[in-house]
Amino acid sequence: MTRETQIAEDAALWVNRLDQPAIDTSASRAFDAWMAVDVAHRDKFTDLQALWHSDALIEALRQTVTASATSDLVTPSVTAPPWRKPVVWLTTTACALAATLVMLIPSLSPATYRTGIGNGRSIVLADGSQVALSGNSELRVRVLPWQRVATLVRGEAFFDVAHERWRPFLVRSGDTSVAVLGTAFNVDRQDATRTAVEVYRGAVALDAGQSDNLVLRKGDRARVVDDRITTQAPNPAAGATAAARPDWTAGWFEASDVPLSVLIAKVQRHSAKPIRLRDPALAALPVSGRFRVSNPARALNAIRGAYALDIRYGRSAILIAPSRADQGS
Amino acid sequence: MPVSLPQIDDRESDVPDQDWETVAATLARYVRARTSRHDLVEDVVQETLARLVQQGRQQKLVSVYALGFRIAANLLVDHHRRDRHYSTETEIDHASDAPLPDRVIAGRQELAALTAALDAMPPLRRDVFIRRRLQGQSCASIARDLALNLKAVEKHITRGLADLHRAVILANDAGNDGR
Repeated sequence: MTRETQIAEDAALWVNRLDQPAIDTSASRAFDAWMAVDVAHRDKFTDLQALWHSDALIEALRQTVTASATSDLVTPSVTAPPWRKPVVWLTTTACALAATLVMLIPSLSPATYRTGIGNGRSIVLADGSQVALSGNSELRVRVLPWQRVATLVRGEAFFDVAHERWRPFLVRSGDTSVAVLGTAFNVDRQDATRTAVEVYRGAVALDAGQSDNLVLRKGDRARVVDDRITTQAPNPAAGATAAARPDWTAGWFEASDVPLSVLIAKVQRHSAKPIRLRDPALAALPVSGRFRVSNPARALNAIRGAYALDIRYGRSAILIAPSRADQGS
Repeated sequence: MPVSLPQIDDRESDVPDQDWETVAATLARYVRARTSRHDLVEDVVQETLARLVQQGRQQKLVSVYALGFRIAANLLVDHHRRDRHYSTETEIDHASDAPLPDRVIAGRQELAALTAALDAMPPLRRDVFIRRRLQGQSCASIARDLALNLKAVEKHITRGLADLHRAVILANDAGNDGR
C-alpha cells in the first residue's frame, strides 16, 4: 500500500469513527495527534469529511437505492422502501438473516440452558466465557467461528466474556442487544420489552434497535423499555468497593423505582409457588429498596410493610393485594 | 440520548496551546468544500474558532479538531437554513446566492461520478455504505445484521469512502482538462 493510500484509509477510518454519538476520550486524543502529524493528514481528512457530509453523496446514495430497488442486492434490506420505519426494517432483516443461518448451518444449532425456580447455575461456554444464570431463566448460546451470540429468552444472567478481538460476543434480550468489548456485565430481562444492563468490567455497546448505540463502561447502568434507553446513576451498593459481580448472584436485588411486577418476577425465580397480583394495577406500582429475592418470604414481607400490601399464602399460589385498610370501603 | 459531548473533559484548564492558524486553515478547507458561498467561509471559520476558544476556557478540549468540525458543520446548516428561509419569504433573487453556472456543472459532474462509483462497488460494500451513511446505522448494528465482524464493516466503509473520493477527484480533473 502506498503512503497516500494509507493516509486516505486512515482518514476515512476517522471520518467513520467520529460520526457517532459518543467517542471515548482516548480516541479523541488519538485523532488530534493524527491530525497534528502532517498537512497531508489534515487535507485528506478534511476532503473526506466534506464528502461524507455533502448533499451530493446523500443524493447519489438515494439514487442508488432507488435504482437498485428491484435488482440484485446482497440483502433484502435495501430493497425495502426507504421510507419504512427503520425498526421494522431491522427486524425483518434480522429474521431473514436468522432464517438463512438456520438453513445453511443446521449443525451449528444453539445450546439451550434452562434453570428451574430457585436454582441458578454457572455455565462455561465453548469459548471459555463464563455465565452465571439466575433461577427460572433461559439462555440460548450459539458459538460460531465469526461471532458468539447469546439470547436471553427470560430471566437474568451475568456474563464474564473471554476477550476475542475478531469474534464479537453479542447478547440479545428482546429487541435490545449488547455488543461486548471484552468484559463482565449483567443483563436482566425484566419483561418482554424491558431490559436492564449493568457493566462490571470493561465496556459494552448497547443497541435498542435504533441507529445510535450507547457505550456503557464499568459502573454504568442503563435500562431499555421498548426501544428507549435511559442511563441510571451508578449502583450505590457497588459504591467505593466497586463490586465485581452483581447483587443477585448473592441473592439480592437493588430496585430503584422499578415496577412491582419486575420485583415480583425476580422473587418468582426463587419461589416454587406462583405469585399473583390480585389487582392488575399493582403491577405498575413503583418500588425501591434492596430486596433479598432469593428468600421470597423475606422479600415479600419487606414490601408488605413499605407499600401497604396484603400478602396471603394460599395452597397453590401467593396472592398480593392492596391492604384492606387502604381500600377505603 | 443522554450522552454528553464526547470531546469535552470536565477538568478546568486554560485554553491549551494550540496552533490556531493550522486549525483555521483546516476548517477553511472544509467550509470551502461544503458551500458555494465563498463569502461565508471567513465568517464560519472565525465563529468556529471563537466558540472553540470559549469552550476551551470552560473545559479542557479533548479533541480540538473533532469539536471544530462539528461546530463548523452545524454553523453551515444554520446558514443554509436561514438562506432558504430568507429567499422564500422575500422572493428576491439574489444574484450572489445563486450557484454560478460552473458550480452547477461541477455539482452535476460530481453526482454522476459518485453514482458511477457506487455502481462499480462490490454489492456488499455498497450495501454496508448505504446502511452507514444513508440510514445512519451504527457499525455494530451493521455487523450484526450482515453477520460480518466489526473490522470488516469498518474496512468496507473506509475503502468505499476512499473510492468515492478518488472518483470525485478524477471527475474534477477531467472537467478542468476539458476547459
